[in-house]
Amino acid sequence: MHQFTLSRPADISAAIAAHAQDAHAAFIAGGTDLIGLMKDRATLPERLLDLNRLPDMSYIDAPAGGGLNIGALARMSDVAAHFEVRSRFPVIAESLLFAASGQLRNMATIGGNIMQRTRCAYFRDEDDLPCNKRRPGSGCSARFGLNRNHAIFGWSDDCVATHPSDLAVALTALDAHVLVRGPGGQRSIPFAEFHRLPGDTPERDIVLDRGDLIIAIEVPARAEGRASHYFKLRDRQSYEFALVSAAAAITADGGLIGSARIAMGGVAHKPWRLTAAEAALRGVSLDDTDALKAAITASFTEARPLEHNVFKVELAQRVALRALETAGARL
Amino acid sequence: MNAIGQPISRLEGRLKTTGAARYTADLPIADVVHGVIVQSTIANGRMVSIDTGQAEKAPGVLAVFTHRNLPRMNPTPKPWSHLHPHGQSYLPLQDDRILYADQPVALVVAGTRDQAAYAGTLIGIKFESSPPAVFGRQAAKEAVEPPQFLWPVASSVGNAEQAIADSPVKIEQTYSTADRHHNQMEPHATTAVWDADGALTLYETTQHIFGTRELVSMVLGIPQEKINVVCQFLGGGFGGKAYVWPHTLIAASAAKVLNRAVHVQLTRAQMYSMTGHQCASIQAIRLGADRNGKLNGIRHDSITPSSMFDNYIEYAALCPRSLWAATGGIATNHKIVHVNRNTPTPLRAPHEALGNFALESALDELAYAIGVDPVTVRLLNDTEIDPESGRPFSTRAMRKCLIEGAARFGWEKRTPEPRSMRDGRYLIGQGMAGAIYTHWRWPAQARVTLRRDGSALVEAGSHELGTGTYTVFRQIAADTLGLPPEKISVRIGDTRLPRSHASIGSATLANAGASVMLAAKDVRDKAIALAASGKLVAPHRNPEVSYDELFARNDVDSLVGEGNYDPSPEGSKATFSFSALFAEVRVDPDLGTVRLNRFVGAYDCGRVINPKTARSQAIGGIIWGVGHALTEQSETDPTLGRFVNRNYSGYLVPTCADIPDLDVLFLGEFDGEASPIGAKGLGELTSVAVAPAIANAVYHATGKRVRDLPITIEKLL
Repeated sequence: MHQFTLSRPADISAAIAAHAQDAHAAFIAGGTDLIGLMKDRATLPERLLDLNRLPDMSYIDAPAGGGLNIGALARMSDVAAHFEVRSRFPVIAESLLFAASGQLRNMATIGGNIMQRTRCAYFRDEDDLPCNKRRPGSGCSARFGLNRNHAIFGWSDDCVATHPSDLAVALTALDAHVLVRGPGGQRSIPFAEFHRLPGDTPERDIVLDRGDLIIAIEVPARAEGRASHYFKLRDRQSYEFALVSAAAAITADGGLIGSARIAMGGVAHKPWRLTAAEAALRGVSLDDTDALKAAITASFTEARPLEHNVFKVELAQRVALRALETAGARL
Repeated sequence: MNAIGQPISRLEGRLKTTGAARYTADLPIADVVHGVIVQSTIANGRMVSIDTGQAEKAPGVLAVFTHRNLPRMNPTPKPWSHLHPHGQSYLPLQDDRILYADQPVALVVAGTRDQAAYAGTLIGIKFESSPPAVFGRQAAKEAVEPPQFLWPVASSVGNAEQAIADSPVKIEQTYSTADRHHNQMEPHATTAVWDADGALTLYETTQHIFGTRELVSMVLGIPQEKINVVCQFLGGGFGGKAYVWPHTLIAASAAKVLNRAVHVQLTRAQMYSMTGHQCASIQAIRLGADRNGKLNGIRHDSITPSSMFDNYIEYAALCPRSLWAATGGIATNHKIVHVNRNTPTPLRAPHEALGNFALESALDELAYAIGVDPVTVRLLNDTEIDPESGRPFSTRAMRKCLIEGAARFGWEKRTPEPRSMRDGRYLIGQGMAGAIYTHWRWPAQARVTLRRDGSALVEAGSHELGTGTYTVFRQIAADTLGLPPEKISVRIGDTRLPRSHASIGSATLANAGASVMLAAKDVRDKAIALAASGKLVAPHRNPEVSYDELFARNDVDSLVGEGNYDPSPEGSKATFSFSALFAEVRVDPDLGTVRLNRFVGAYDCGRVINPKTARSQAIGGIIWGVGHALTEQSETDPTLGRFVNRNYSGYLVPTCADIPDLDVLFLGEFDGEASPIGAKGLGELTSVAVAPAIANAVYHATGKRVRDLPITIEKLL
């Protein structure tokens, strides 16, 4: 086992300071992903900064005007069970409940959830296989290897991995913000900009810099929130990452879509927003399946499947349609 | 006292549920040190250099073993044989060759497991790598005829070719199954302890303590009497712990050199290459039949991969030899392809589960081709005579399984057209299949001791895999002795006990169980003899007397009975287990997801000794089969030549949410040809034909015939 130390910063400032000055430090909260990564030697921090005792970071606030503010240390199970989360944003509650297992959700935090690293089997192999995300410059085994579970959008020759978080897909659809504090102060990052595409630096999943700590997730009031749904398609019924998933949230007037928000999981290095489809869906009748399908297709002209995931292009569109229709049934 | 036939709960249930049961890696061993295996990162080539200097200097490290310093081992006899207890003939850490991915190349021994694992990362190896050979449709073209190691490689009764050619209806298809791993919850582990006299005790995760002793004796060159192998609880075996794998030999050898107890436990990922697996198969089936579905001819050809050094055959084309009548002829054959992988091994249910998928899918295709109900086709081809040997079956309740299973399932309500049954947005499909499983006959010994306090002790060198061995041994002894089951204690899993056979192939109950019955009979007869010849037993002339009273009056402390079950080779009858399975699935036609709605299994496993443990075996076997059908596959990277999804996150076994209520019927009868206790094998049988029943249901639901397992989403889009 790789040797490491564990310390407990007294407060947020101390945590940030300790992380900022130490290239081999990592924050740990629920640890449900980090411990696995360390066991597989996919990441080898020398010092762990335990955040679990930081005060006032596990709140779930539901302001009177709508939206949600969720502390980074709130546990997945607590957020999923929260009445206001479930009524204001079913898509968030569902994305949490369909993830992991009961035991893992009791440990895992919201901040840690969106920091999860890819489930690409090459990245996680305990034998350190060629993987640019794990060892930059070593090559991408999945590019011409087994890539059924990999990306159809936004990949590069250096990395074809997908992002595993379900919650991140829901938050992308809702244009949430990630409240981050670092050595230079606090900033709010639009969710769509939080995760990166791989390009030629796939070792970087997110835009955070050393010393940056996620403080909270802020979900603005969204008219679409109530009629929302997270649909997760997977190879078995439970305890499995998405093959393809979709978060959909809509408003409608007289059966015609007013506004639609759709993001997808399992298709790219980051949650993938169907921007073109959202525009095309405006004014489409929820009863007109063909028109809904045609609008969704607008976002798939740029799809670039790999050798083993060609089927995902069509499947993803059907998943998006299912999420949209189920959200529509909640109007 | 009829303990047999009662649904008695597990003798060891409380120990297991409270965590008190000690598994191999849990055993406290004095002064034990920990070994961690380092593996090759290439699949084909050789080691040019290996630098262990840094690892040797790492904290806590006692030694690093490689091919340069691990003592030479004695080769095991060639040709390698399946009944031989060696998992594979290629011995670990003996030379610089790399013949498969993740092959063991070093063992680091340190004070703690973490220290050893860390030091292992400091070993620097330079490899010279060549492209590995991997199995697939292309490689199958290079298949060769292997030597026999179990059944004959090829079989031919009648003239199958002619019978098929002359048939008005022909089915000709190719089916394939995926590589699978056992994925027992308990990882393989071994602790080797040498004493001052040069005797070795191996605490081992094994389904075969005596085989382990025999093999280790041979390879390390020490007499069997100097070796003792212990395994009292096993956290799942499924065939993967029935043979000796490299880590056991490395640990025993290293412990000898260091003169310290060495414990080695494989990581989950290491289990994919350092123990066996069920190899993938490509199977061609040809059926010839008349327009009613009566089979004239069957031809079944299977191709499977083996390692570069062994001729392992997965006998996928075995089942048509004895399952259905085909009046004109039945021909089967097996070929293998040598590729860069470790040697495959039996996995529940070896041979039959792969072959039955192909045969029973083809039979379903035949039923649709002629428009006859799949149950009717099987009833039409049912037979009381084993087509292979020409002998009558000892018992065969296939007809009963088909008829009563169908009735329980409600098969008569099924509409035969594909895509004709719906539930809302879902397509509903109902499918069925028949199954056969080999009956194994192996010698076994046991000892039963009756004690003065009226209790009895059963001792036999058998194994508890999670199947209920402790419980059924208790039951058989209780029944034979006329004692309440609570009065019987059981000791198994130790080579100091009477010799028994490997707990594989569903053989334990019929064979080891028979030895327990014989031992109990022997001691009961001795007690009766004592009552007849000894001092006056019952002054009040009561014809009934308890053992404790008998022993007290005769001043006897205990009586010992020996059971030596030595089954003759099959006689005038052919013995197999049978089943008929019925599955209902729902398929989301837009998304390609298959979910099992309900399942009925009707089994002929002879006499049922314990309906509770039998039902548990059956539902476990069905779930095992659901994984085979829908989710499980060990995927090989074509360039790296290695299994990639080497953990529970990548290798998907069914979860509880995937499994509905399972309905199980036992329809067999006492089979005295199979065993003196009347039982035939069950555990393996229960996972045979689950996959074709589900695949046939998927066809009925969707009209899509999936001939390649597992049936994943993309195959139904």
